[in-house]
Amino acid sequence: MLDRKTEIWVALICLVASLLTAILWVPFDSETPPIYDFRRQTYIGDAMLPMVAALGIAVCALVHLLLSWRRQVTEADGPFDKLTAAFFLSLFAIIIAAFVVMYWAGPIALALFGPSGDEAVTYRQMRSTVPWKYVGFVSGGFILVFGITSLLEGAMHWKRALSSILAIVVLIVIFDVPFDTILLPPNGDF
Amino acid sequence: MTVLEYVWAGVLAVIAGPAAFEIFGLGVPITVLMVFGGFVIGIVGGATPGLAGPFLMAVSLPILLSIFGFTPDALLPVLGFLVGVMKGATVGGAVPAILFNTPGTPDAMLTTFDGYPMAQKGQAGKALRTAHFASVSGDTFSDLVLFTCAPFLAIAVEAYLGFGEKAALILLSLAFVAAVVGASPMKGMIAAFFGLFVAAIATGEDSHPRLTFETDFLANGVPLITAVLGVLILGEVLFAFEQMWRDRRIERLKKVQQEGDQRLTWAERKRLFPFISVSALIGTGIGALPGIGSTLAATLGYATGDRMHKGPVKFGDGTPEGIAATEAANSSVSGANLIPVLSLGIPGNVGAVFLILAAESIGGFNPGPSVFRFTTSEVNPELVIAFGLFTAMMLANIMNWIIGGRIMAACGVMSRIPKQVLLPIVLLLTLTAIYVQETDFNAFYFAFAFAVLGYLMRKLKVPTLPFVIAFILAGNLETSIRQAFAVSGGDPWFLFKSPLSILFLLIAVGVIIFFSRPKKPAANKAIAAERDR
Repeated sequence: MLDRKTEIWVALICLVASLLTAILWVPFDSETPPIYDFRRQTYIGDAMLPMVAALGIAVCALVHLLLSWRRQVTEADGPFDKLTAAFFLSLFAIIIAAFVVMYWAGPIALALFGPSGDEAVTYRQMRSTVPWKYVGFVSGGFILVFGITSLLEGAMHWKRALSSILAIVVLIVIFDVPFDTILLPPNGDF
Repeated sequence: MTVLEYVWAGVLAVIAGPAAFEIFGLGVPITVLMVFGGFVIGIVGGATPGLAGPFLMAVSLPILLSIFGFTPDALLPVLGFLVGVMKGATVGGAVPAILFNTPGTPDAMLTTFDGYPMAQKGQAGKALRTAHFASVSGDTFSDLVLFTCAPFLAIAVEAYLGFGEKAALILLSLAFVAAVVGASPMKGMIAAFFGLFVAAIATGEDSHPRLTFETDFLANGVPLITAVLGVLILGEVLFAFEQMWRDRRIERLKKVQQEGDQRLTWAERKRLFPFISVSALIGTGIGALPGIGSTLAATLGYATGDRMHKGPVKFGDGTPEGIAATEAANSSVSGANLIPVLSLGIPGNVGAVFLILAAESIGGFNPGPSVFRFTTSEVNPELVIAFGLFTAMMLANIMNWIIGGRIMAACGVMSRIPKQVLLPIVLLLTLTAIYVQETDFNAFYFAFAFAVLGYLMRKLKVPTLPFVIAFILAGNLETSIRQAFAVSGGDPWFLFKSPLSILFLLIAVGVIIFFSRPKKPAANKAIAAERDR
């Protein structure tokens, strides 16, 4: 269990969100209400399951709130601190950079170094051919693996760069080389 | 077909199935090959701290579906591979626990108590052999219990339970899982209800999909495998990343000279039998209950063995009985875990979740009471598949008996891979597996949304297993309730009409109240760790 204050906040947030969901979101975003009559028969509508789920969360959150309120106050840190924010800002920056490079590296590389003029081709036409199909996966994958490893270790080592490339090569051998129908990211999107 | 004919048909479906290739004119059945492949990968993965059986099953599932497709022929090879991974990982987790005091899988934590001291005394070989012997004995025992109990339970459920009772049983299972997993039953219930809610997005019977905000992004619903992988695997990876970043600890691994006789003699095996037997019973009993994991089984097996032990070396100081007691218990959970899966269609643990996902994705096999219909006038293909699955499990056990120990011994090197190198590769591997299945970059956004959800749930100590199980069972629950309501003629008290369904619901409420009582401080840290996971 976490400290009393955090448990109370968790319960409150769950309670408010679930009540808003049950009262506003579910009724307005479901075609049929929880119970409805059609041709003199009574049916359970599409709103029943999400409404019961939301109300269930509300009830459990209320019980949890009451149980947590009765607990004794203890000196304890919450689960999140400034370090959490700092870490995830860095981590998501790496992940976003990796995704952007993974998606665009192939088309950009083809535009810069691929056939031009009368022989110009689109990335969609080349997405299954070597080396274009690997450009995005290798570059984006390298940023992801090497970037996160360096973040966790607090430093960049050439050995880690090598192991990252080796891991990507192994993934290509597992996923791409044996199978004609499998497309590595991002080739399926073009 | 008679019962024996169904059993034989299942056996033949595995050993005489389509051949992957031929050796000297003899075809090697694809299912047998997949069981073997999964078994080896399972041991290697289980022996690598940071990887575990469920992760390997999760990542391999999209790859397997891409290779084999969605025809009924794909069922046995895919399920065979997943079962092989499950069994391999069960035994592989003991390797780093013994050699490096680092459990390869969470349930091998107690193996470190006696395994590592034995390795320090130069008896690592004997410790590994003991772990292997106990593990495969417990695993085989629980499989035999599964083969005998699951059909009977399924037949009883099908014969005596109507729609209302089935709905009440699903509610009881969800309540049980929510209450026993984690320290707070209320948080477990919140997770379960949240799983039901997320599963409701864009599903339902109406032409207009519910809960989509009229967006195309949500109009196709939440991709099942992506969501489960995101919450269970990627959430755990994000959590581990943060911990590693905060700790930045680098462990140095010491080598100890091996000495003395490393073999496990028959006399020594005979001395271990009482501990293995008791622990196998404990593990099988616990495994049959959904939501209670192998770590708790290992803890109870160890504690019981400690009370039984009268040898010169105490538990915790490096005695083979300590290894045997915990390994037999944690391994005998895996077979028994499939009892609620096959007889009721309810996944009780993470590994079973992926077996059900595989079956649902491929189609043609709906784990549950309807599988064990022993129809004589026409063939029930699901029953043949079920016996094929049992055959695959037995094959994996036979492989474990014959070669499991040797593969285990060779896997010590896997523990030397630093986690900060391994886990980013795990992240890329998981994302690639998701992309292979969905072939859409949007799947990454879903994956990370659920990864963040899984991370938040771990940080806030909200258990993830009830969320996943509710997410998977939501469809069955809604269908059962709708059917029960319709059959009752629109009676609002339809769930309370039968004594059995009232009993199930009362037990559900009782379980929640029982586990909500203030708990005494756990004497054993392992029990507290299991609760707070």
